[in-house]
Formats: sequence, structure tokens, C-alpha cells
Amino acid sequence: MANLARRSGSPAGLRRARPQDRGPRTEYLAFVLAGDVYAAPVSFVREILKPPPLTPVPRAPHAIMGIVSVRGQLVTVVDLRRRLRLAEPVPTRRARILLAAASGGETLGLFVDEVLQVYRLSESEKEPAVAALGGDVAPYIEGIARPSLGSGLAAGGRRSVEGRTEQESHISVVILLDLRAVLGFS
Amino acid sequence: MADSGDRAREEFLSEAQEIVEGLGRDLLALDEGLRASRLDPSLINDVFRAVHTLKGLAGLFGATRMASLSHELEELLDKLRLGKVDLTAAVLDLLFRSVQLYGLILQAEKEGRDQVIPQVDELVRELHRNADGAAVASPTSSRYELDPSLLAVLTEYEEHRLRANIAQGLRLYRLRVQFQLATIDQALDELKAMAKPHGEIITYLPTGAGADADSIELDILMASAIPVDELRRALASGGVDLEEIPRRSSSGPSSLSQVELERSSPVYAPPPSGRVPSLAPPLHPDELIAGPKGELGTLRSVAQTVRVDIHKLDHLMNIVGELSIVRTSMARLVERLRAARIERDLAADVHRLQRTFERHLEAMQQGILEVRMVPLGQVFDKLARVVRQISREADKLVNLVITGAETEVDKLIVEELSDPLMHMMRNAIDHGIETRSEREAVGKPALGTIALNAFQKGNHVVIEIEDDGRGIDTTRLLEASVRRGVISPDDARSISRSEILTLIFIPGVSTKREVSETSGRGVGMDVVKTNISKLGGVIDVQSEAGIGTKMTVTLPITLAIISALVVMVEDRLFAIPLANVQEAVVLDPGAVRVIDGREVVTLRGSTLQLCRLARLFELESQATQPTTNGWPTSATSGAPGSVSNDARPAPRKTSTRQYVVVTAVGARRLGLVVGTLVGEQDVVIKALGPSLKGVRGFAGASELGDQRIALVIDAPSLVDELHAPGGERIRPLIASRGSHG
Repeated sequence: MANLARRSGSPAGLRRARPQDRGPRTEYLAFVLAGDVYAAPVSFVREILKPPPLTPVPRAPHAIMGIVSVRGQLVTVVDLRRRLRLAEPVPTRRARILLAAASGGETLGLFVDEVLQVYRLSESEKEPAVAALGGDVAPYIEGIARPSLGSGLAAGGRRSVEGRTEQESHISVVILLDLRAVLGFS
Repeated sequence: MADSGDRAREEFLSEAQEIVEGLGRDLLALDEGLRASRLDPSLINDVFRAVHTLKGLAGLFGATRMASLSHELEELLDKLRLGKVDLTAAVLDLLFRSVQLYGLILQAEKEGRDQVIPQVDELVRELHRNADGAAVASPTSSRYELDPSLLAVLTEYEEHRLRANIAQGLRLYRLRVQFQLATIDQALDELKAMAKPHGEIITYLPTGAGADADSIELDILMASAIPVDELRRALASGGVDLEEIPRRSSSGPSSLSQVELERSSPVYAPPPSGRVPSLAPPLHPDELIAGPKGELGTLRSVAQTVRVDIHKLDHLMNIVGELSIVRTSMARLVERLRAARIERDLAADVHRLQRTFERHLEAMQQGILEVRMVPLGQVFDKLARVVRQISREADKLVNLVITGAETEVDKLIVEELSDPLMHMMRNAIDHGIETRSEREAVGKPALGTIALNAFQKGNHVVIEIEDDGRGIDTTRLLEASVRRGVISPDDARSISRSEILTLIFIPGVSTKREVSETSGRGVGMDVVKTNISKLGGVIDVQSEAGIGTKMTVTLPITLAIISALVVMVEDRLFAIPLANVQEAVVLDPGAVRVIDGREVVTLRGSTLQLCRLARLFELESQATQPTTNGWPTSATSGAPGSVSNDARPAPRKTSTRQYVVVTAVGARRLGLVVGTLVGEQDVVIKALGPSLKGVRGFAGASELGDQRIALVIDAPSLVDELHAPGGERIRPLIASRGSHG
């Protein structure tokens, strides 16, 4: 269970940010959904969990995977892949649940295939939603980002130790999710 | 967080509410006393006192409507208790109306509405008329044979009582008693209780003497009809020094006159601080004469009572739930430690600690549950008022006999219970009890009786409302049902009497208009049933023509923790509240018939619709095609909660064996087909999140320990769903609604 606030504010991360970028930067948490890299504003994410045993709820909306217990509170878990109508690879041990504040004060769990890292993105690095993306996903996309080298903060301290930085170094495009739209379902 | 003003206001409202409720109770007692011509003067005093307090509260919080009503009421009551106005049924009606209006006003205050309530003004005027008009000759002119100096220390009320007692030709006694300061309240109450059957205590005053610094001597003025020797015997155990005050005595006991000088303000002013300041409040004669329910008693109970928002208790209960889960995990760890056979001493210590923890946790859970419990009397008092009102409106003589008012139920349940019970009570009077002439014509006593009984039965509370009226006219009920298309004419021919009775719970059947006045019962009995079901309760009806009707409501004691039957469907766990479970039996697939697209079996002579949870919840795997025979295999019937684990040898196809959990909601039943019965467990139900609101069939979910979660089946909603037109079948089958039960 990562404490994002602490991590993203680490002095190391601040130093790595490129000094020449002006304007406010927003922190985004990057994660993998069906093989692609997505990101959402860190401010929405309260906590990252290893998936506890999940209880499916029959007759629930398709995108809802079920419920889990987080320190005694029932949390409804949404499969972001299903929500975005993506492919659903079999979850690996890297799968995580992001706890996010949804509309109406509810805390929702968002199931993702893997959590990567935090990016500090300036406005210049973001591009507005591309019409080309089209389809069902469009309303949930805020835009895309092409993070420049150095705007990334490792989301997991162990990551580099394990030598799993390969993917990160190759990330060229991150799809920025509009979590407000994603979470604002009925 | 409410700011302090809001909170004070909350406090005011709930305190006023409490007082008004107490007022209602006292009025009922007065009503009873009036009918038996045995008025207890202290009751009128209680009522006066309650209204007086309300007036003060209202003034403090600027509730002008309440203040003006209280003011007029107080005037009238003051005259009542001083004997200047006679207590008649008409006056009592006014008082009852005021209780009702207090309710209205409180509601308005709560919602922040401050427009004029016309009924209040009207009542205020009426009260005014009564208080003014009925003034009886002033009694001050009458003389009587008591030391005038004694009169000086009596309050107007005490004076009135004294005069009333003398007028009745009673003897006056002076009782001198020593009390320990530490226990004086209790000892006085005991003495009062002892004296009460023999007469009335008019006042008491300290003599100023006492054996030592820790005791005090009181002179008690008492009126009684019995001779001095008899009274002495009756009070012998109280350590009382008793003497009769001779008539026409010219001087009171010296000790009395000694005190007279100290006390000169004998009314409702704050207690005078005399020579014994610490004792001043308990010795205020008004307090004492009011008996244990006087202001003093209230003050004390307020000091020892804390009002708690029920949600805070819910929160505590949740924490206990969490702790239980911790306990389970800890128990497993301890087991592993013991099995590892290392550090044996340490393991044993931890094990002991774990057991202690378990015990305390259980005690804590029990404690919190107890705090939530309130006596059903709270609702019953309201019902008694309703009965009085309705029976007067309907001009029927009804005697309400209440038993078990002390039976305790979860506060939340009590709140939700009052409307349904009120409705049933109204029905019993309106439709059950006959008019006086009708009753006399069939040889029944003119006074109808409604019994309101409550008692605990295992984990449930049973409430019965039983009238000795005319009973439900099943013929007409059936006719109406056929007319409404609720039941087909074919089914109507074969339906049993008890099945007909259940028709009153079907919406639209039993309205007065439809069924005619004489047989119509249960305007909105369907609503009553729905409300009871929401509480996890069950309602049943029995009725005999000409003899009466009995409604039985069975409720769980608490909603915070419920007993549930945990079952497995495919590989999923579900919990079914035991309150809804009648029995569980092994399913014989060979006995399943399909009628109109619904699967049914016959269980002990009646048809039971089945609902395969695996299918309903779309959990079915391919390998479920069972083949066994011999339905019904085994059954334990009766008390909810008895679960049969089929002891009889059955075909050894454990993988395909399924069970039917018979759930009952009111008179409707449904057989839930499940895989295995895991066992019975107490669970804390937690609500599903808002995003799962639209999902039908679940009342919530419960953690069973080790992070496993079982969804809790909402049996009433499943029963509704499957009995409703279009519920898991091909075309409507109206008959199934009423044809089993």
C-alpha cells in the first residue's frame, strides 16, 4: 500500500524535474490497462492495494467486478478495462486496485493490470483529446501526453532494483484518463 | 458537526418529546382512574409538573406556540389539582388533544416551520374557557381544625389535599422518622410505597433534629382512614414513630412550629436554602409529595442518562465486527504457533490471552446490543392513546390489555414499528370490534377487548394484536379477490381458509370500498406487511368468524447483528437471514414439477415455488444435472433457525446434491435452491456502495473472517421478484400467489 503523497513529494523527484519547463505541473499516476499505458491525476487516488479476495456481485453492472473489504469497509471494485471496453488479460500478481474518491462520497476501487509510476506533467506535455481515438472511449479521455525524460518519478522503489525499468524507458505516449467521467457512472 | 446552538435545540426537542410521551402515559393512567372512580392525586400533579417543565423549556427556546399552549394547560391543570375544576371525560379529552398538538408543534419546530397551527389556537381558547368557566367555589372560606401556623408552611396544593382528606373524614397522623442522609431518597421512597395503600402523605418537614450529623429527622403529615394501632402495625417495619393528631388541637407539635419559621415561601420557587442546604432540594415538600416521578426523580435520571445517536452505536458495532475478524485471524496465528511446538510457554500465554480477548469482545458486543435496546412500551403507550381516540371516534367500548411492554427491541426497529402497529390497531377497532348493540345481540360483553402482547422467543420478539371482534369475513374477501383478478375462480374453489386470510396482504384486495365495510380489514395491510418485512419480520393472521382476529408479528431483536444461514452456491458464499428461513431440506430433483414456467415442489402438502440461486445469479456451471429421488427427504419445521442437515442416507452424489432453503416473508414462501449449507453464523450486515444500489436481491454483505465476504440475500425482495408477474417464468400465474402458505 503505497503512500503516494509522500512518494511523489520526495526531494529526489523534484530534483529530476526539468528546470526549463514552466507553468504548473500535475502529477499523474501511470498504470497499464490491456497493454497500454494510461494515467490519471494522482489527486484522485487515495491508495494502491494489492487485490484482496474479491467477491463478485451477481446482477451488478458489467464493469463492476465485485466487492472487497478494505479495513472493514466494503469497497466496490470497477474493472477499468471493462469500463473502457478493452481486452481483459488474465490478472497477474502485478495487478492492483486503486482506491479513488467517486461521486457522492463513495470510495471505489479501480482494477488495473499494473501500476507503473508517477509523472509530473506540465501543460506543454499534454495534448488535448484526439478525435482520432473516437469510439466508446473518447468521453473518458482527457488527452495524451508524451512525457519527456525525467518527468517520471518511480512509483515503486523496488522497481529499478528489480530491473523492470525497461518498459518505462520506452513509454512514449500515455493516455490521460478523465477519471471524473470514468467514475461518474450511474 | 452541528454547532452548539443546533445541539442545544436538538436536546430541547428530544427532551420535550420525552416529556410529552410521559404526559401521554400519565393521562392514560388518569383516564383509567377516572373510569374506576379512583383518581390518584399525585398523577394530576405529575401532569401539571410535566406541563410546567414544558412551558419553561418552550420559553427558553422561543417556541411560542408551545409556550402559550403550555401556559393555558398549566392554568387548567393547576385548578384541577387544587380541586377547583373537576376532572371529567371532557376535560381529559382536552388534555389528550393537547398531547397530540404537542406532537404537531414539536414536528413543526423540528422542521423549522413557524407558521400558526390553527388547532393550537383553538385548543388554547378552549382550555382558557374551561379553566375560567369551571371555577368552583373558592375553598379558602372553609375553616378546619388545624393549627393555623401549620397552614403557613403548606403549599396551596398541600392545603387542598389536606382539606380534601379532612372532608372525607380521614384521620390525620404525624409520623416522625429518622433518615440517614446518605440513603434518604431511597428510604423515603420506600416509606411512601409502604404508606400509600393506607392513605396519603400530605407533606413532610424536617424537625431540625437528628441523632447525629449524618441523619435527619422528618415529620410527616399523613391522612388515613385506618385507626392508629392498625397504621402503626402497617408501618412497623419503617422505624416510624407515629401519633394521631387530635382534632381541634390548638397547637401543632413543637418541632413543626420550629420549622415553620424557616420556611415561608411554599410555592414553586427554587427550593429555599434553609439550615440544611445540602438537603434543601429533597426536602422541598412539593418534590416529596410528587412521589418518585417528581422533578427530583427526573433530575437524577437526566444526570445518569446519556442520549446517544444510534449511528454512533452502529459505528461501535462496526468496530466490534472488525475486532471479531481480527480475533479470528489471531486465533489462527495462535493455532499455528502452538502447532509449531516452539516457545511452548509463550504459545500458551498467547493462547490464554487470546481467550481472554475473545471473552471480553463478546461481552462488549453484548453490551452494545443492550444499549440499543428499548422497551416496546414506548410504542405501546402511543398505541394506547390511539386506541382511546379511535374507540371514542367510533363510539365503541374497547379495553386494551397490554402485556410484555417491558420486552426489549432494537431502537431502530421500535421506530419503524409504530406505524404498522398503529394501522393494525386501527383495523382491529374499526373492523374487528363490533358496535355495542351488535355485540350485545350476539351475547358478547359490550366492552370489546383488544390484547396487545409482546414476548421474546429466542432471537425474536413476537407481538400479537388480538381482538374479540367479528373476525374476517372470508367469503367476501374471496369474492373481492376474484373480482380483482388476484386469484382465479378455479383456485378460489380449492383455496383453504388460512390461504384466504393471507389475501388481505395483497395490495388492492382488502380495501374497505372493495370488500364492503363489514368484512373489509386491512386498509393497506399490504403496506403493513411490507414494512414488517423490511425489518426482517414476518406477519401472520388468524381469524375466526364471530370470535375474533389475531395478528402475529415476529421480528428479529436487532438489526445490528443478525443470525444468518451461510450457504454455498457454486463456489460463492451467501448469507440468508435466519429471520426469513423456515427450514432447509434436501432437494429431490425428481419431484420438481414445472407449472406455467415456474419450478415448484410439493412440500408437506403445499406447493413451494423454487428459485435456483445459481441460475438467478448466473453462476451455473455445466456439471449440475442432479438425479436423485425421494422428495421430501427430510425436514425440520417450526422455529426459524432450525436447519436440517439431512441425517438420512441419501444417494452418495454429494457433488450434485442440492438443498432447498425455505424462506418465508409474511405468508409467501419461496424455496431457494443452494449447493451446500455451510452453517449458522452471527453476521454484521454492511450496506453495498451507492454504485450497487440498483442491484436487486441483496440486503448487503458481511465479512465472515479471513477477508471472505458473503452477500446477504434480501429474501423479501427475492420473494417479491419471483412472485411478481414476469418473475422467472413464461407467463403470469396468478394462482401461485395465494395457493401456498
